[in-house]
Amino acid sequence: MEFAVALAGPGVIDQAALELGSVAIGFGPFVELVSAIASVLGFDSLVGALRYRVPASSLHGLSVHLTAGTLLWLAGWAALAFGLRSDVQVAAPKSDAVGRALHPKLGNYRDFHWGTLAAYGFGIFLAEAGFIVMYLLLVGKGSTSGAAVEGGLSPVWAFVWAFFLSMAMAGAGGFLGAANSRRLSTPEATMAILYFGTPIPTLLTLMHFFPAGMLRIAVPLREIAYLSSMLGENRPELGYWLVTAGLTLALFLGINFGFVATSSGRLDLRASYELFVASRHVSVFRWKLLVGVFLVLIFGIVPPLIAWAIVSAAEAAVERTRIRLLGLQDPLLAAEAINDLKVRGQTPTAMMTSLAVGGVGVGVMALIIVLSVMSGFEADLQKKILGTNSHGVVMKYTPDMPEFEDTLAKVNSVRGIIGATPFILNEVMVSSEGNISGAMIKGIDPKTVGSVTDLAEYLRLGAGSLDWLDDPSKIQARRLAPLGGAALDEQGRGGNTSRAEAVDGGEGEAPPPKPKGFVSDVERDPLIDMPSQAAEAEPVLPGIVVGRELAATLKVVVGDRLNVISPLGGELGPQGPMPKSRPFRVAGIFYSGMFEYDSKFVYINLKDAQTFFNVKGASGIEVKVDDIDNARSILHAVYEKLDGYPYRVKDWGEMNRNLFSALRLEKLVMGIILSMIVIVAAGLIVATVIMLVLEKRKEIAVLKALGVPDGGIVKIFLMEGLQIGVAGGVLGLVAGLAWCIFIERVGIKLDPQVYYIPALPVRIEPFQTALAVVIAVLVTFLASIYPALKASEVEPVDGLKSE
Amino acid sequence: MGTPFLEITDVHKSYFLNKKRIDVLRGVSVAIEQGELVSLIGASGSGKSTFLHVVGTLDVPATGKMTFKGKSVFDLNDAGVAEFRNRSIGFVFQSHYLLPEFTAMENVAMPALILREDRKASLVRARELLERVGLGHRADHKPGELSGGESQRVALARALILKPDLLLADEPTGNLDPATGEGIHQLLREVNKDLGITAVVVTHNEALAQSMPRRLRLRDGHIVSAEA
Repeated sequence: MEFAVALAGPGVIDQAALELGSVAIGFGPFVELVSAIASVLGFDSLVGALRYRVPASSLHGLSVHLTAGTLLWLAGWAALAFGLRSDVQVAAPKSDAVGRALHPKLGNYRDFHWGTLAAYGFGIFLAEAGFIVMYLLLVGKGSTSGAAVEGGLSPVWAFVWAFFLSMAMAGAGGFLGAANSRRLSTPEATMAILYFGTPIPTLLTLMHFFPAGMLRIAVPLREIAYLSSMLGENRPELGYWLVTAGLTLALFLGINFGFVATSSGRLDLRASYELFVASRHVSVFRWKLLVGVFLVLIFGIVPPLIAWAIVSAAEAAVERTRIRLLGLQDPLLAAEAINDLKVRGQTPTAMMTSLAVGGVGVGVMALIIVLSVMSGFEADLQKKILGTNSHGVVMKYTPDMPEFEDTLAKVNSVRGIIGATPFILNEVMVSSEGNISGAMIKGIDPKTVGSVTDLAEYLRLGAGSLDWLDDPSKIQARRLAPLGGAALDEQGRGGNTSRAEAVDGGEGEAPPPKPKGFVSDVERDPLIDMPSQAAEAEPVLPGIVVGRELAATLKVVVGDRLNVISPLGGELGPQGPMPKSRPFRVAGIFYSGMFEYDSKFVYINLKDAQTFFNVKGASGIEVKVDDIDNARSILHAVYEKLDGYPYRVKDWGEMNRNLFSALRLEKLVMGIILSMIVIVAAGLIVATVIMLVLEKRKEIAVLKALGVPDGGIVKIFLMEGLQIGVAGGVLGLVAGLAWCIFIERVGIKLDPQVYYIPALPVRIEPFQTALAVVIAVLVTFLASIYPALKASEVEPVDGLKSE
Repeated sequence: MGTPFLEITDVHKSYFLNKKRIDVLRGVSVAIEQGELVSLIGASGSGKSTFLHVVGTLDVPATGKMTFKGKSVFDLNDAGVAEFRNRSIGFVFQSHYLLPEFTAMENVAMPALILREDRKASLVRARELLERVGLGHRADHKPGELSGGESQRVALARALILKPDLLLADEPTGNLDPATGEGIHQLLREVNKDLGITAVVVTHNEALAQSMPRRLRLRDGHIVSAEA
């Protein structure tokens, strides 16, 4: 009977509306997402071959699904609003209190606040939209993906500012929402994030996966896509969600601040007694704990454990002997000593605290060491790459640049350019008596090349001189062994002595051969000519500089002859172009430390290259800039100075994109993996603070009875988590730096044959190191928010009753 | 007569045992004048402690109104309620509920610290107060090292450090032997007489109740005069 009444009552309809509404809201975006993904997948499998053509039908299907989902979503809101709006009917018997006003605190309990939902929802939605708009505005219109234009900030700074401002927006939304309801309003926050926060990133992600959508929306948003692909390492969708996660975090922080500020009626940021209480609760800053954790971080777990076991065993032995002697004199004094011993025993929370400090410390230490080593590798690699290669190149869309001298002057006049040199680059084969190898040949201007690359310095590590390229007559010809069975053997021995000679200097006992115009030497067949030539005075040949590895492969030393063979550029033979060959004399051997360069690059004089490859002028200009991190914009200025087309510019980042992006990705992944340690440590902190809260329930109740507001309790427990985080962070920092300095000073040997570096490189980057500590402390702070809020929810009466 | 010092009207409060509602206070109304020393007696489970918790804002009743010096207390926000507990109310419970990590002196000073008064001055005042309750020599001991009677005297000193308007004592001698309990009672009467602090003492002890000028009894969820 009662059931029938209840069924007929209007409350049931409202209840149904509420449930239906929430289901529909949830299903709306789900339908949108699933149908969109389905269309994408179907599209791919059906017409995979035509994947970049856009059939109108698939776009149509998507829009139908999206519309349906959106309508369902809106209908859900309507149903929810209807269900929440209506009155509740009570069928229960009436109590004495009918007609009396409910206590204000109870009256506010678990009410649904539309205003709060609106504040949260619009906060996150506007923050996302605002981020896009602000970024586009800040980076300036017409930016060509990456290069800053006049009036616009560089992409990095635009991102930082836009992100900062939109985080402030999300935070403000959270603050206002929580201030409106005077509590955390978790249901409102969840709805806001799911139903208002996800549409924009979902849309952007779909846009990326869905070519039709990309064509529709992507053009005005290409800067955002570019930015996101930078954030997510060429996976824009990762970037979108990273930004969304950041904004959600800001919303969350805003909600917490809003709650703490308004539930108490005012925002009180002072922390006098809170800190006093917190530091007594956790007592992290005890020298025993700190030294113990530090030793564990430095030496690992086992040695300090053994030391501790020895010390405590000795201590216990001494103490027991003392108690026994005391017992012989006064049994009661002995009983007191035994009690003291018991009291001194550690509580479980003290143990947990040490573990949590150690966990954070290990995380921070590992982050600092690994990131520093990776930075060391990166810096080393960068140094080597930028030593051999330039910071940027200026090229033309045509193969030659006959007017390179004018261009050189123009390039040199751009601010930020500190060196420029012309070059000709080609691929050739290099052959010696003993061997043959492919190589990149570069025609350089020996006078100016030093202003751009470190080639001269690398030659000092090897042999020979760059000047000999200009004046090949100075190269001391080495008498070649006659071809034959003993040739290789003798060459090996000869190589050693001759290298030593070459290091001694340019002029030796043998008089320099009489200069001859090298024209006469052109196009000789080395196999036929050489034995007879070698017996006489060596002809003067143009100089060539080769890398150490290539020299080893070709079995040549300074003064030896090499033949450079180009498949192109020769005369036309009966079967097409004939390969062209020309002898050179090794003028120097360089050592850069990069296997790839030492085994691949050879250098000749620019003039020789011009005639050999039939190039007018140069094929491009290499430049050096004063600030390598700003190379992109300096080169853009060069581009503007040269009036753009037909010139084009490339900076070192673009030229070595694969290598550096692989390195950055590796660093990012390592950072993420190591951050897991910090997250585990944060879990430890959550557990520790929750244990503290459970252990201190009674104290929390007493403190509340003494007049501590909820915000004060939150602050106390936040500070407890923060103390653990700061102690762990500082210990990790000190231990990490100690390890880095150890690695740097003492060194960890690497096999130079494999790594090309004799010892593990370390580079402590202050910003990155500080970031590791700050992030760890921030994570621990965030981790303690939840237990701190739980602590503030302890009702004084419950805490006082529990005993 | 004007507005009373403390006026409670129509307070309803229930608690729950396994989803079963037990109505403890069913429309309690009472007025207390400034400077009164009131005892509250009643059977076990009659809601004496609940009443005291409601007055001390430790517990939230379902309905009701409470005015203190003419101000409605239940309408205050969290900070206002906390300030009310801090400045206007002093609690003494059956257990001492001292904070174990702090010395007796620091425990006594805690309400002043919560009010953000200067730490040194607060500690000096706490020591003076401890001397007045006869515990000057135990000021630097932690609660674990104090006896039951000593702890309760420290708790009383803590309740008094900010000179509250109203002292709420919930069976302060319930855990003590009669002799020690009598000492606490003596202190309570002194506090009421010398400092002029209004006090409400919940007790089981009929003899103690008889020694108080005004006696109230809680019966069937209502407060009546003990003589009735």
